Amino acid sequence: MSEVEETLKRIQSHKGVIGTIVVNAEGIPIRTTLDNSTTVQYAGLLHQLTMKARSTVRDIDPQNDLTFLRVRSKKHEIMVAPDKEYLLIVIQNPSE
Amino acid sequence: MFTDETLETVGAESLWRKSRLLQQESKTCQTAELKTAEVEVQAGDTSENATQTEADEHRTQHFALERESPIHYPGLGEFLQSVEGVVVKELKRNVKSHAFEGFEVNWEDQSETVSCLHALQYSEAQESGLQVTSLSWNTTGSVVACAYGRLDDGDWSTEKSFVCTWNLDRRGLNPKRPDLVIDVPTSVMCLSFHPSKPSLIAGGLYSGEVLVWDTSRTQDPLCARTAMSDETHREPVYQVHWVPGARRGDRFSVLSAGADGRILVWQLDSEGQLTLSDGFALVTQQVPRNIKLSKARGDSLLGVTSLSLCPWDSDMFLVGVEGGLVLKCSFSTRTPAAVSSPSSGLALRAPAQFSFSSHAGPIHAIHCSPFHRNLFLCAGMDGHAHLRSLLQATPLLSLRLSDSYLFSVRWSPTRPLVFAAATGQGSVVIFDLGRGSLRPAATIEQDAEGKPVYCLEFNPKQPHLLAAGNADGTVKIWQLSAELIEQGQREAAQLEQLANEATE
Repeated sequence: MSEVEETLKRIQSHKGVIGTIVVNAEGIPIRTTLDNSTTVQYAGLLHQLTMKARSTVRDIDPQNDLTFLRVRSKKHEIMVAPDKEYLLIVIQNPSE
Repeated sequence: MFTDETLETVGAESLWRKSRLLQQESKTCQTAELKTAEVEVQAGDTSENATQTEADEHRTQHFALERESPIHYPGLGEFLQSVEGVVVKELKRNVKSHAFEGFEVNWEDQSETVSCLHALQYSEAQESGLQVTSLSWNTTGSVVACAYGRLDDGDWSTEKSFVCTWNLDRRGLNPKRPDLVIDVPTSVMCLSFHPSKPSLIAGGLYSGEVLVWDTSRTQDPLCARTAMSDETHREPVYQVHWVPGARRGDRFSVLSAGADGRILVWQLDSEGQLTLSDGFALVTQQVPRNIKLSKARGDSLLGVTSLSLCPWDSDMFLVGVEGGLVLKCSFSTRTPAAVSSPSSGLALRAPAQFSFSSHAGPIHAIHCSPFHRNLFLCAGMDGHAHLRSLLQATPLLSLRLSDSYLFSVRWSPTRPLVFAAATGQGSVVIFDLGRGSLRPAATIEQDAEGKPVYCLEFNPKQPHLLAAGNADGTVKIWQLSAELIEQGQREAAQLEQLANEATE
């Protein structure tokens, strides 16, 4: 298996991780461990949210940039690691 | 005279004994000389070849992205490598962190108490002393329909009754005047709104007919009815439901179950007739059971008093019968029912596959949990609500909620551990399984005089609304307090634990 698949498998096998999605710069999911409709929903919404978060950080201080985004909800925590070309989204249930 | 004489010996030769020596013959033989030769051969060069089938040749390609995995995304490997460390560190920290424990956020105005928003009545129905027999919310959650009839009368009544609807989101809502009143020739025993079309209602009558109304038609809301024939119900229809078609995209059919032991599936056709498309009959002798139904004759039919479709398994449905039995049934059964079928009619089938331990008295309500595939509740005339699992015959929990009968029980659509029950003493009891006590979380006094509450329904789209109808013809809409609606963090896991206690 390639490096990419192995890395994703390592992340997915952590305690409480519900799903892992890799999204490209246009917001299209390219790797996922969830089903189709959920993936598309998460990818679209979180891509927009990440862009908004990034512009917020840069508006406050143009020298600064977004490195990590975490959204905590009643049921889980969504972590987004952004980059120039890709986005890694991991959904975890921390209370398991 | 006598002289010595010697005689010559006389000999006789043996005739049969011959010298053996004469019989012996010697023979020798010798094989011809063997010619041998030696030759050697040596291969100059070798080659190997092997074949192997690929394991994932037959993988279904329902997700288009999987097919593209051979496409190389430039930079993806490096990106993941750089990001993996950070992400894994955060994941690990999250699991150990106590930072958010007990941290609750209130997004909406919390109502602390349960209050009655509306008390809906229809004066004509109240004058005739009709009771509310059934309620239904439509799919958008804004319209509540109630059916009037009688539940305590044993007589064959031909008095006229009504189906009324109120739209709660309208500004000019008048609780004394329904938005739409439909006249019905006999008592309506059950009602159900279509799961996706907000204006279709199906209702079952005391006379055994099943009618479908379309509330968007101004002239005559009646849109389809069953013809009275040998194959239709001849006894009151107690439950009516909309069932999705066999394939996705098929239209919904109406399922009706009555006191005559028949469960029939109807299709709406364009001429306003409900045509029978499928049917089942519950015959006593065909019911698998551990306890014998002692007094019933083998070929008598068991009247159905409650029915629940399972949201997790479209093939299964649960039925509660008059004698107190709860049965698990299947739509795809093939065994024919032991009833004499009419000559030109549909052959009925026997759907029962498994019977659970019985209640003492008819089962008035069954409801499958929307949060767990194996759990369901059933409540009957003995005042107990049983929490049961599909995997075992005896109940997991038996709760005594009332000293008198329980007429209806429903799971909450938002909290996995909460359910509500309608009692014969005029109150609605809301029970929380997570509390661990045997006393209810809340008791709502619907009616001060103690007239029984016959039906209750949660609003599917607005979970803080609960409608309950009672014997004096009033439908009250209750607004529930926030703690009864909002799901806590671990409820789904607690429910799962409760269900697993069964199998141990």
